[in-house]
Amino acid sequence: MWHKISFRLLKHELRRGELTIMALAIILSVTAVLSLSIFSDRLQAGLTERSSEFLAADRVLSSRRDIPQDWLDQAGQMNLKTAWKVVFNSMAFAGEKMTLVDVKAVSDGYPLRGELEIADQPFEQGDVVDGLPAEGEAWVASQLFQALRLEIGDDIEVGNSSFKVTKVVTYEPDVGFSVFTDSPNVIIRHSQLEATGLIQPGSRVRFNVLMAGENSNINAYEDWLLPRLNDDTHSWRSIDDGDTPLARSLNRAERFMMLASLLGVVLAATAVAVAAQRYCQRNYDVVAIFKTLGASRQQIRRIFMLHLLLLTAASVAIGMALGWVIQYLVIEWVAQRLDATLPQAGWQPYLLAGATGVISAVMFTLYPLFRLVSIPPLRVLHRQLTAGNAVRWLQWVLSGGTIYALLVIYSQQWWLSTALFAGGAVAAVVLLGLGRLFISASRKAGMQAGSSWRLAMAGLQRRAAANSVQMLSFSTAIMLLLIVIVLRNDLLEDWKNQLPTDAPNYFAINIAQDNVDDMQSMFERENISSTDLYPVVPGRLTHINNEKLLTEVTKEDSDDNETEGREGIGRELSLTWGDNIPPNNELTAGQWWNDNAEPQVSVELLVAERLDIKVGDELRFNLGGEEFTVPVTSLRKADWNTLQPNFYMIFNTSTLEDFPATYITSFRLDEDRKSELYQLFKPFPQTSLIDLDAMINQIREVIGQVSLAIVFVLVLVIIAGALVLVAQVQASMEERQKELVILRTLGAPGKLLSRSITYEFLVLGAISGFIATLAMEISLFILQNQVFNMTPVFHWKLWLLGPVFGAAVVAILGRLSCYRLIHRNTAQLIRKLT
Amino acid sequence: MLIQAQQLEKTVDTSEGPLQILQPINVSINAGDTVAIVGASGSGKSTLLSLLAGLDLASSGEVLIENEKFSELDEEQRAKVRADKVGFIFQSFLLVPSLSALENVMLPAELAGHKGAEKEARELLAKVGLEDRSHHYPNQLSGGEQQRVAIARAFVGQPKILFADEPTGNLDAKTGGKVEELLFDLNKDYGTTLIVVTHDQRLAKRCERVLQMEAGQLSEAAQNVA
Repeated sequence: MWHKISFRLLKHELRRGELTIMALAIILSVTAVLSLSIFSDRLQAGLTERSSEFLAADRVLSSRRDIPQDWLDQAGQMNLKTAWKVVFNSMAFAGEKMTLVDVKAVSDGYPLRGELEIADQPFEQGDVVDGLPAEGEAWVASQLFQALRLEIGDDIEVGNSSFKVTKVVTYEPDVGFSVFTDSPNVIIRHSQLEATGLIQPGSRVRFNVLMAGENSNINAYEDWLLPRLNDDTHSWRSIDDGDTPLARSLNRAERFMMLASLLGVVLAATAVAVAAQRYCQRNYDVVAIFKTLGASRQQIRRIFMLHLLLLTAASVAIGMALGWVIQYLVIEWVAQRLDATLPQAGWQPYLLAGATGVISAVMFTLYPLFRLVSIPPLRVLHRQLTAGNAVRWLQWVLSGGTIYALLVIYSQQWWLSTALFAGGAVAAVVLLGLGRLFISASRKAGMQAGSSWRLAMAGLQRRAAANSVQMLSFSTAIMLLLIVIVLRNDLLEDWKNQLPTDAPNYFAINIAQDNVDDMQSMFERENISSTDLYPVVPGRLTHINNEKLLTEVTKEDSDDNETEGREGIGRELSLTWGDNIPPNNELTAGQWWNDNAEPQVSVELLVAERLDIKVGDELRFNLGGEEFTVPVTSLRKADWNTLQPNFYMIFNTSTLEDFPATYITSFRLDEDRKSELYQLFKPFPQTSLIDLDAMINQIREVIGQVSLAIVFVLVLVIIAGALVLVAQVQASMEERQKELVILRTLGAPGKLLSRSITYEFLVLGAISGFIATLAMEISLFILQNQVFNMTPVFHWKLWLLGPVFGAAVVAILGRLSCYRLIHRNTAQLIRKLT
Repeated sequence: MLIQAQQLEKTVDTSEGPLQILQPINVSINAGDTVAIVGASGSGKSTLLSLLAGLDLASSGEVLIENEKFSELDEEQRAKVRADKVGFIFQSFLLVPSLSALENVMLPAELAGHKGAEKEARELLAKVGLEDRSHHYPNQLSGGEQQRVAIARAFVGQPKILFADEPTGNLDAKTGGKVEELLFDLNKDYGTTLIVVTHDQRLAKRCERVLQMEAGQLSEAAQNVA
């Protein structure tokens, strides 16, 4: 029988709109989670696919020894595409000239991701090519034309073989980026490798197998392969592994999206909680009547549980459908704008969204439902009676636990969830206290004001308890919105700063000492902006405080090792000297030497942290056989995101100036002047140039995609925030209605009432906005410091914007929600109340 | 004896210390009696009603309905007693706003698990003259109509006892008179024991017994001859 009553109640309540907010909140949380996670899944997959170009593959298996053929066969069987890329250093000869080159022997299919571009002349704009050099031919980098004085059609000798240079390689997706270790590239066919005679036991070769394919296949292959790998010789890499600017940007973007989605979920869950509470409150009378008429607790529990389950099921279904449509539309739009197709998402987002809807609906309704069931029947006579607050802790445990569970499920990161949760809990308590304080302060201020204001402040004060809770959720919503908006801006700004339009796009290295002045005057004459020229002396750090470093390896080893740890200090370092601290470097400990001529060194912070070097430590260096020991007198933080020469070790001038050095600089040459490059550098044959444009463009493109994603996340978070606000305003409606009836009956003019309501919401919103800004500033400081590795910034503009925004939004939403209330006549109001 | 109150006391805690609302009260009500409890506002009438109906528990003393002691029953068991034996009418009608007139009337019978609740409810709605309003919601009905629905609801399932708390208090004199008429007519038809809390002297005079409540003390004010 109870289910009949339940269905009947549900039907009518749905028709009367009693459950709209609650249903909307569940629908929104499901919609948000589903569309966001599908979207970010697909975008992530798309980005990874795009960034895979940096590897020229989805995964790279890399080894110092030849890779067994059956590993490749297995990959083929698992529907993965494979291609060889064998890399080693060798001398290349052309006529009288010779230079060290990076030989890259590749097989058909290379590159599996991204495209190779070639040109007919050095430093010209290249075109995409689908194919590889023919047998007996080589494609080489522009720099090699300078170094070997080559012309197209000339032969170069590598090992026992001779290759005809037929094209200039202008762009290789996997060229990597390393100023000091890269020699110009020579691309030949993998099939010709053996004939060079350079692959001998013990030779310094890196064998790579590139692989690409469906994610599921890659994962399956990974499972098969990983147990067979030997950590000492093999490495298995994806794009996320590298410590490149791109990997860092991707990483940040991913964290941002996750964080924003998390906040969106918390907001939607809050809306569910508020709506659930209100729904239950509205049914207090009903339950009291039921009990008076003899209903048992069990009957009541079943009746309302069924409501909840049906409502949840329906809302989750609607949310799923809506979420799917939204992500579909957004993806279409993004795909169109980026001229790309994005891979399909798996089933996880659906599970995640469904779980979010059900968990937040059930968990946030449990406590209000518990109270509802325990409403005493005596309420029929004493209307002020509600359920006891005896187990109020249960509410905190349940809602806290739910939010925490959602955070963990969504982020799958314990530490991030715990940090966010703990921070949020502390913030909630502080906000609650602050809210009360402000309300009582504004009451005092309101007493001085006109009648609408006085009424508004009195209302604010009277509902202080309810209002401070309301303020808490207003503040939380506004704070989360502000965080997302600001983080987005900071993130984009930070990226833009890393890649300013006038960022250097070339490195010039190996500049001879004799050429330094000529080059500087060439830059000036040709109006080319460049950084200072830094001297570079190769040297090795061998001891710290007389303790021998264990990781000493040869130069070749370090090249081989570059993919496993570029910063491996065992390799030869590029040491420099100077009188002044370079731009974008910041002293973090000790003192700069200024005029002090005593031998000393300044160490970059990351290296110092890795090797546990402190100011005062003694470092021993070996420079071409000559050893000396210097004390560390300062530590520096260098900005590795700038495209400028950075150094781990900087000495004072007197320590190093007598060692033979080459020089390095970076400079900017606009696209339209690229054709001049060859002529400009002809006088400096020893100098090698490294073109950064391709890399910069790739990063820009990826950032563009991520920015779009961030806008989408922002919109969803804003909608979730607005829903919380509406749910909260709705929740206070009953109370307001009673007051309005009394005031209207006493003859208060409509204008006075509507103004007082507006003022009340204005003040509530402004205070919430202020608290939100404060909380945001603190959270951002921590987030930027701990999660995003960004320099925290103070957002003074928001201290004005926060309160104004809060006041405006809350007042508008409040006024809209109360519109019908104010415009009803008194008789209608009284009727509605009874 | 249908209802007995023995040494019934009610004390509540207030910020100024404990407040005794009911002095020890002893009263017995026979089956089929019609009893009015009259008294000034705050004299304890509604509190007495809530204790007699098992909506609240006494601080000390005992209420027995058909020799069953309320103090020995938990809330669930008291609800069962109400479902089986008690009907209610309130000053503010207390209909469930999201149920129609018919559904409101069916509710007690359905909660008690009676079969044929709808048929019974329709008959009762016809008796109170609202058969053509059965699908209207409370907010679509006038005060008098709402109270007539409440009366129909009170009689559904044929309770032995009917508690009415100021049943005409929210109605104008004319409508109140009609509702009063209806209440006593139905009471007669069903042979129910009626206990009415009221200010309304006219209503009180229609009851066989009038009990006067004054500062928490109950006294027999009159025995009217029906």
